[in-house]
This record gives sequence, C-alpha cells and structure tokens, in this order.
Amino acid sequence: MPELNDVENQFIRQEIAEFVERPEEKERLITLFARVTPRMQQIAAALIEGENTEVDRLTRAALDDKVPALEVMDEGLIAGMGIVGIKFRENYIFVPEVLACARAMKAGMAHIEPILSASGIQPLGKVIMGTVKGDLHDIGKNLCIMMLRGTGFEVIDLGVDTAPDDFIDAVEEHQPDLLGMSALLTTTMPNMGKTIDAFIDAGLRDNVKIMVGGAPVTQEFADDMGADGYGKDAMACVSLAKDLLGVSARAPAAG
Amino acid sequence: MPQQPVDPEAYHQSVERINEIFGSMMVTVDELVGHRCPYKNRFDQCTAAFGCRNQRKAREPGQLKVCGADDKLDYRSAWQDG
Repeated sequence: MPELNDVENQFIRQEIAEFVERPEEKERLITLFARVTPRMQQIAAALIEGENTEVDRLTRAALDDKVPALEVMDEGLIAGMGIVGIKFRENYIFVPEVLACARAMKAGMAHIEPILSASGIQPLGKVIMGTVKGDLHDIGKNLCIMMLRGTGFEVIDLGVDTAPDDFIDAVEEHQPDLLGMSALLTTTMPNMGKTIDAFIDAGLRDNVKIMVGGAPVTQEFADDMGADGYGKDAMACVSLAKDLLGVSARAPAAG
Repeated sequence: MPQQPVDPEAYHQSVERINEIFGSMMVTVDELVGHRCPYKNRFDQCTAAFGCRNQRKAREPGQLKVCGADDKLDYRSAWQDG
C-alpha cells in the first residue's frame, strides 16, 4: 500500500494531507498520485491552483513529448479536479475558486480536443452562452458552461451584458446547435424575449434552439417568450441541451 | 510521430468521471448558495463585476473588495445591476 511520502509532488502531498479527511478518499488519492508520473502531478497541482497559463504550458509540453492524451486528461487534469471537488465539498474553497480551476481545465483540454477530433471523437454539439443585455451576473452561466464543457459540448462564451445583435452575430459566425441565455434580474429578464424576437426578425429563429435560465426565470416565462427550453440549474441545463439535440448520455464519439 | 488515436470507450469513461466530480460540485453549490454569496471567494473577497451593498473597502490597494455579508442573510437583495 503506497504512503503519502510516495507522492513525489510536494504540493499534492500537502493538499492531500491538509484537505482530504475521509480515509477512503485519502487512500484512493495517495494510490493514484503515487502511481502517476511527476509530470502529471505537476499538471494536477497547477489545475488545483487555478493557474490556467501553467496548465496550458504543461499540457502542451506533455503532448508534444508524446504523453498519451488520455493520460494527460485522466492523470493530470481530472485527477487534479478530483481534489478541487473535495476541497469545495468541505468548504475550503468556494465557487470563484472552482471556476478558476475549471478555466485551467479548459486551457488543458484545448490541447487535447484536436487529438480527440482526429480520433473521430466530436463534441456533443456547439453551444453559445451569454448573459442578456443589462445583466452583469454571470455565476450561473459560468457554472452551466463548466458542466456543458465537462459533458463534451463545445461552448462559446459571450460573457455578460450581451445585446441581441451580439447573440445574432455570434450565431451567424459560429453556427451553433444551441443558444443559451441567462438573466438574474427581473428587470433584465424581458431582454431574453427581445433577443428571441430579434432572431425572428432576422429570419434566424429556426437556425438555432434557444434555452433560457436564471433565478427569476420559470418554465411558464420561457414558454411565453418562445424559448425551446428552460433549465433551472446547471445540471438541468446539460440535460436540456442533450434533450434538445437528441443525444443520449453516452452518445458523442464517432464523427 | 503524431499522437496515438484516443480510444472512444476510454474517453467516455473519462467524461463520466468529470461528470461525477462536477455533479457532486453542483450539489455543493445548491447547498452553499442558500446562505453564502457565490461571488464571495475563500478570502472573503467579492469577485462580482457589479455593485453590491455588502462590498467593503479592499484590504490593500488593487485588491478585490471585501465582502461584508455575514453568510446568514439573503445576499441577493443586496445585488445591484450597476
């Protein structure tokens, strides 16, 4: 049975010792990190720290040196995210830190995605996401994006305060399968309907499925403004995206 | 020599592990947002790009503002769209 000192990376050792309390999780992580190469431990450590430029650099270097893509994904990125999940559950870190780690993971996955594509593994679909005009609240949208990317969707993030014309321009440019809009304020929520109307006026409404969400949004409101679907949270957003595109839980792959 | 192709089945297993981790995180998010603002980081700083009545002066110049919420009241009523 490996011991903590068998994990070469000092930062990972400290993370396990300081933040992982459940014996079965500690044992599993020690066994995992004692087995993986120091290089993968380094990627995991950078991801836990939310250092996306470092994850970017280390991932690219590992792949350039012919480390298999799935090894980088499993033993670097996902292994690191496993510790992030535990720290979040135990309230050592909070949503902003989790989102920073998710951005670091995206930086690493950006180098892996072309290899997946070359292997015939295509994204489940392409999604454009944005918070509507006048609204600067982005946590819900960002959590949805994290979940969608984790599930295998390609996501283009338009950010906050997105005008109808910006949504239209992005759809024309990227030709997505889905468009997701979020709003947190009751005062900005009507801008979802205005954006949908803008798509109708531009003759583009049938080009893309539109899903909406956010604290004040309801299924009834989504129906009234003519959205294709409503998700109450990030998990529901992923289920809805799959439903709207008719993909099953294990579908993606062969492209 | 190019990278070896990725086995789709092994990739699916990796995606399932990510989903497991992220799914568990969303359970924590649901529990957390009932009492702690999601924009508040581990240093009790506000990461929001908008104004909030709970924002206090930053500890040092150039740092994020400090969140003054006590994690007991409904923080959402303090959010502004500015």
